[in-house]
Amino acid sequence: MINRKNNSYLLRKRSFVLGGLKTLFTLIVFGKLYHLQILDKLKYGKLSDLNRIKVKILYPQRGIIYDLYNHPIALNRPDFQLNIFREKEDLINKYISSLRRVIEFSEKDLADLKENIRNKDLSDFIIMKKNLGWSQLEAFELISNNFPFLIINKEKTRSYDNSFIFSHVIGYVGYRKDLKNKKLNNLKFGISGIEKLFDKTLLGKDGWIKLETNSKGRIKKELNKKIAIPGENLKTNLIAPVQEYAYSLLKGINGAVVMIDCKNGGINCLLSTPSFDSNEFSNGVTAEKWKLLVNDKSKPLLNRCIAGLYAPGSTFKLITALYVLEQLNFNPKTQYFCSGFTEFGNRKFHCWKEGGHGLVDLKGAIKKSCDCYFYNLAKLIEIDSLSKFSKNFFLGTSTKVDIPNELIGIMPNKNWKKKNKGERWQKGETLNTVIGQGFMLATPLQITTMTAILASGKKIKPKIVNNSDNIFENIEISEKNLAFIRDAMYSVVNEYEGTAYSSRLAGKYSLVGKTGTSQVRKISKEERELGVLKNEEIIYKLRDHSIFTGFAPHDKPKFAITVVAEHMGSGSKVAAPIAKKVIKFALKNFLKSNE
Amino acid sequence: MNEILSKLKNLNWFYFFLVSFLSFVGIVMIYSATSAMEINIFFNHITKVFLGLTIMIIISQIDIDFWKKNAFYFYLIFLILLIWASFYGHIGKGSRRWIEISGFYFQPSEFMKIFIILSLAKFFDEKKIKDPSDYFFLVLPILIVLLPVGLILRQPDLGTAAIILFVCFLIFFVAGLSWKFFASIGFFMLMIAPYLWSLLKNYQKQRILTLFNPENDPLGSGYHIIQSQIAIGSGGVFGKGWMKGTQSHLDFLPEKHTDFIFSMLGEEFGFLGTLSVVGLIIVITSITYNIANKFNRNFFNRVLAYGLISNFFFASMINMSMVIGLLPVVGLPLPLVSYGGSSMITYFIGFGLILSMDRGLKTNY
Repeated sequence: MINRKNNSYLLRKRSFVLGGLKTLFTLIVFGKLYHLQILDKLKYGKLSDLNRIKVKILYPQRGIIYDLYNHPIALNRPDFQLNIFREKEDLINKYISSLRRVIEFSEKDLADLKENIRNKDLSDFIIMKKNLGWSQLEAFELISNNFPFLIINKEKTRSYDNSFIFSHVIGYVGYRKDLKNKKLNNLKFGISGIEKLFDKTLLGKDGWIKLETNSKGRIKKELNKKIAIPGENLKTNLIAPVQEYAYSLLKGINGAVVMIDCKNGGINCLLSTPSFDSNEFSNGVTAEKWKLLVNDKSKPLLNRCIAGLYAPGSTFKLITALYVLEQLNFNPKTQYFCSGFTEFGNRKFHCWKEGGHGLVDLKGAIKKSCDCYFYNLAKLIEIDSLSKFSKNFFLGTSTKVDIPNELIGIMPNKNWKKKNKGERWQKGETLNTVIGQGFMLATPLQITTMTAILASGKKIKPKIVNNSDNIFENIEISEKNLAFIRDAMYSVVNEYEGTAYSSRLAGKYSLVGKTGTSQVRKISKEERELGVLKNEEIIYKLRDHSIFTGFAPHDKPKFAITVVAEHMGSGSKVAAPIAKKVIKFALKNFLKSNE
Repeated sequence: MNEILSKLKNLNWFYFFLVSFLSFVGIVMIYSATSAMEINIFFNHITKVFLGLTIMIIISQIDIDFWKKNAFYFYLIFLILLIWASFYGHIGKGSRRWIEISGFYFQPSEFMKIFIILSLAKFFDEKKIKDPSDYFFLVLPILIVLLPVGLILRQPDLGTAAIILFVCFLIFFVAGLSWKFFASIGFFMLMIAPYLWSLLKNYQKQRILTLFNPENDPLGSGYHIIQSQIAIGSGGVFGKGWMKGTQSHLDFLPEKHTDFIFSMLGEEFGFLGTLSVVGLIIVITSITYNIANKFNRNFFNRVLAYGLISNFFFASMINMSMVIGLLPVVGLPLPLVSYGGSSMITYFIGFGLILSMDRGLKTNY
């Protein structure tokens, strides 16, 4: 019994110690729970949110660019992109090697991926590959369970239907490296053309979405989002079928076709060839391809309509003629004799027609494009005054057209010569200028604008984007003189012996205009004496450019057009027939009956 | 019939209620944890809870002397079952520990706990410690413990083996072994610690190491601890609400219906939830102490009660310590709350025995 009592006492004592141990253990657990749930609540709450909540940037859909008849020129196509959770960056290499069976990663894809890994934006995802094809999507769908943390994302990306035809005017889009706002690494901005100038309108506003994901990298639900606001659509004055048709006519020719609506200044066609693939550029052109295009002698990246500079040649005679009528009260009945050349000072100035035109008046000189007649007019002309007069027709000055990188060309005067050549103006240079040669340079757009002003008698300002109707003031030139010029232009195309007679239109509307030959080389005295070589006989890059500018219909001008065909010889041979076809097509399909 | 009714009347219903309430918490948590799984898992659990409650009541109706008398026989039967399970049983979770009887799987190792405690209590009750330095006397009780523990380690089931060793150690202590015994055991353990360490599998070592620095290995074994801490910590004071735990429902929390159910409780019910469960465990433990302390002269009952409640208490606390990052993750469910058949039934049996002792107090004393 004593034993038992002792044992009992010991048991009590020991159980007390045991209870103490339990209390201690409880206190430790309690302390840790207090620490986790009360003191570090915020930290762990944040960590649990980081675990599950993934933010994705919602990129806005770019505004669609339409032509005048609401035919989309630049639209958006779905782009399926493969994304990986940014936190699972380590998996990328492993995934790429095991995905190779179904999804090919090109050099460019890998380079883009590297860039995307490096550029941290707000998004919790990294784009691994863009532009997945349907077969790739299907193949991936079957095995996607083996690839946690990968998701397919449907975005919209810029797509051009006729990717060669509108490249210069519409431009293209691409990523910008100089962004301050780092979160928009994968947003495409306008890089050139309309896309660039109207980027703010077209771009829209980005948004974001918060997604709840599980530990397996699957999206369970959307938590909340700020919807991306799509960019505004843009309507242009372009007429897609006209431009497409013109493109087909310019196949194999380096040149430009510009067509302007004489009523509202809307640019219906702004085509430059050769061209480049704007889709390829928007998806990111490779460095080799870029180099190839930059070094291409035919300059496919140059927008010849606004940045190609040509001597306007005989097309400028229209302005010279208008100038003498308007400013010098010149009598158009005045006749000069063309013997094939005119002597001035100790130099001979040659007409393009070797034997000469004989006796011609002003109208005949325009019709037959007689150079000698204009050399004689030049003797009456003060160059500074002609230069100033020409500015009314945007020659040597900006048309302020709504695409970037327009060149203004050269409309020379005394000051210009001193500034740029360091010499005094020579009177002989006036002789070259009045026939659109010499120093003078203009873009096809400027020449077209000039024609549109002559046709309408209004201060037309060419615009690509379609705004509410533009109303232009009348130009301060007498209607009588303008009518004379138009009449002369009529004779060029529609009368026998007119330089563009072979390009006349049959039917109720008539095309009027003026041919031009833009000299690329100087013809030397020796060559002149040996006989001027035919265009076909000299090397391509020294051949003359073929130019035609005109408008139709004659009585109610609607379309003004300029065609430049580089190194194709005289205007009558190549440019005028193309202009005729385009105008015919435009008149037939796009001239409203009340116009 | 009358006899049974009067026996039931003497049942400590308050105690019964507390235990049932803890298993009710388990039902609530498992409903949430298995919401994305098959509904069968949930019903399976409910069935087992009711089975357990029934077994608890049945056992509470059997006089405690029955168990005392037959302790060694039960021990031997389950030892044989354990041997069978360890060599020929089904393999699950990487260890061979299950026996199948007509479609039901059970782990003899879980039930073995009860019979080791019973046997030890019986041994120390009959062979009183006369001379605390009589080491020879200890051979049998040490064998009683080490035979099953060795088998369980072989399965391998580190968690169960560890908790058995620990509880038995406490029973030895409570039974009154001298401090020298524990000192020499401690010294011995220290000597063979490097050897034991070398016996551990790599993943087990890793678990112990990551405990001290989970951030070292955030994707390996440290991942579970970190995610579990995030779950509990993010619960804050009031929790995210039932069925609304993000860590658990989005699968960041591993094993959420078994070993890590306490983390889910912490996430969905917050500090108030965890504190209530800890409190419930403490209340159950204290009441059991109260019961045990009433057996002034019944050495068997007292040792048995201390052993059983220590098993429950430490299993609970070790599980919690595990999921809050205080102890290595060894694979130990939270008693009565976690999903799991044999282990839960074993605790119900234990509480049945305690209830039986309590009933005995009212009838015999």
